[in-house]
Amino acid sequence: MRILRLAASVLALTALWLPSKARSIPAFARKYGTSCLTCHTIYPKLTPFGEAFRRNGYRFPGVDSDYVKQDVVALGQDANKKTFPNSVWPGTLPASVPIAVGFNGQTLVSPDRTSSVARGRNGAVFNLDDLVAEGHIWAGASLSDTVTVWAELTLNESSSPVTLEHAQVLFNDLVGPAHVVNLVVGKGFPTLSSFGPHSSYLADIQIPNAPVTGMYGLSADPFVLVDNYKGLELNGVVAGRFNYAVGVNSGKNTFSSGFETEDAYASAGYKVGGMRLDGEGSGGAADPLHPWAEDALTVHGFVYHSVEHFPTPGAPTLASDDVGLTLGVGARAQLGSLELDLGFYGQTHSHGTATLGGVTADVTWGEVSYVLFPWMVPAIRVEHMRLAPDGGPSVDDLHVMPGIAFLVRPNMKVILAGNFESATGFPQDGGGGALGWQGGSADWGSFVLTPKPGAGPAQGLQEMESIAIFLAWAM
Amino acid sequence: MTQRTSHAVEVLAAVLLVAAGSTARAAGGTVAGKVDVTPAKYLAETVVYLKGVPGNPAPRTRDMDQRGMQFVPHLLVITAGDTVKFLNHDSVAHNVYSPDNEGYNLGSFKQGESRTYTFKSPGLYTQLCSIHPEMLGYIFVGDNPHAAAVDAKGRYELANVPPGTYRLAVWNSHLKAPPDKSVTVTDGKTIQENLTLKR
Repeated sequence: MRILRLAASVLALTALWLPSKARSIPAFARKYGTSCLTCHTIYPKLTPFGEAFRRNGYRFPGVDSDYVKQDVVALGQDANKKTFPNSVWPGTLPASVPIAVGFNGQTLVSPDRTSSVARGRNGAVFNLDDLVAEGHIWAGASLSDTVTVWAELTLNESSSPVTLEHAQVLFNDLVGPAHVVNLVVGKGFPTLSSFGPHSSYLADIQIPNAPVTGMYGLSADPFVLVDNYKGLELNGVVAGRFNYAVGVNSGKNTFSSGFETEDAYASAGYKVGGMRLDGEGSGGAADPLHPWAEDALTVHGFVYHSVEHFPTPGAPTLASDDVGLTLGVGARAQLGSLELDLGFYGQTHSHGTATLGGVTADVTWGEVSYVLFPWMVPAIRVEHMRLAPDGGPSVDDLHVMPGIAFLVRPNMKVILAGNFESATGFPQDGGGGALGWQGGSADWGSFVLTPKPGAGPAQGLQEMESIAIFLAWAM
Repeated sequence: MTQRTSHAVEVLAAVLLVAAGSTARAAGGTVAGKVDVTPAKYLAETVVYLKGVPGNPAPRTRDMDQRGMQFVPHLLVITAGDTVKFLNHDSVAHNVYSPDNEGYNLGSFKQGESRTYTFKSPGLYTQLCSIHPEMLGYIFVGDNPHAAAVDAKGRYELANVPPGTYRLAVWNSHLKAPPDKSVTVTDGKTIQENLTLKR
């Protein structure tokens, strides 16, 4: 029973650190009077043009307002710039509220009742509890040709009822040539790659999360790389081929408020071939029937310094800190409709284990996909995580996820995926017992491991966790 | 005057009028065509005009109204020396000012009142209202009367242009104007000149 409760709590906690499930927002489709397919293949996966739109601060290449079809209310005319400071600097407002809504959830079928996923669900093989798990309210708009806003509220049935996922103001083209210097203020994802955070056909996020302090029972809301943080970020695209970002954010803290903001990161990438990173001057895809296809190679890397605060085990009125340093690299190679994404990061934690010992996490992932039809993309995703704590057993987990993503309609999708896992070792609690854990990149497909009754921390497991059916629609 | 004499005078007058009318129709040529604007949403703010046409046209007075918190017409084309009478048919007060060229501020005025301004210099004058910053109008002031806003399909016509060689130019509120075109106008003829405007 203890194991079942443990497994259930592992699954329930996941929603706390997995970010929102989609980033496709029909508010943009309405704004520009364009199909989702202008920017997406199977959303939220972006085409090269969609990636450029995202990098440009949710703006079209060229002059964004040229492409806006929706009526806007002028809050001041451009000519008012000539009379500044005797008038307010002008701006615009969408004539209709730039809101979109979406829903998503998953059904997991676990043929093996003894798998970690099934044990987390009372041994259920078929369970519809999460068929609709989340609702989203998105907002995306321009306040001028250079200032844009982006926000997201998520309604979750299993964790916090309402979560403010994103609320960002993007000041684009601050100085110099277009796209070179942009400032993002607010709450959102740190830019750690040349591509959007949801850049996967099968998973929710491109970079799998390793919630180390959560895995060792230190924090109910552990630091992970891809999450929504309050901060400032400077980013940009230089000469169309080089992208960069530097930022600071409030990080994770489950002790109390008021700690020094110390989390900082930087990333950079370079693209060879294909559309420019900012989409400027594009003559369009080589084959207009395959606007997602291009021959290109992009390499990128990042560094992240984090400081997490949480209650000290055994002395919860005292704060403990875990200082982390992460170095990561990645690459995307695209040959027509065939795409290979690879990535790796190594992460050190000063006090990440249950006994506040040091631990390192190495995370590797890869996803190969092929756009067979504009509405059908088979793919296979592989994720590997290794934890090496000071003086304890290591954890080694391989997650293999073959699947197919379908676009039922441009704004409705289904993912069918299998989840296979092979692992040795478990994180240890303070008394040396094995802890169940979950990490990775999707609610419907991630690392999910719960020790079997009587097993020690060094136990090995090979499991078919589930066949996942993920459903999402937006409007 | 006998009835016969009177009839002769009427006929003569009619002949003279017809002759005069013929002369007026023949006095000059026409430049016409179509402007292709990309993005098309900026089409309505396009003026085609000729530069350097000689003449000394009589000043006119034209109206620009404020109705429903909008300048009506949105774009008014006049000639240097013309006067614009700014009306206010709204139940709220408006102010009319322009930061362009010599600039002016006509103060605020309420419903039923008006203000006038005589434009001495050619150029584009943005019309703004400091009380309602969303209001926007344009007054294009040509150095001669041969200027016209395009219609809803982008067509324009500049009629009664004295014979000669001039530069044909275009103005748009958002888009870059192409280089001027040289056009030679001859009496009674229509020249077709199509223009393209884009970023």
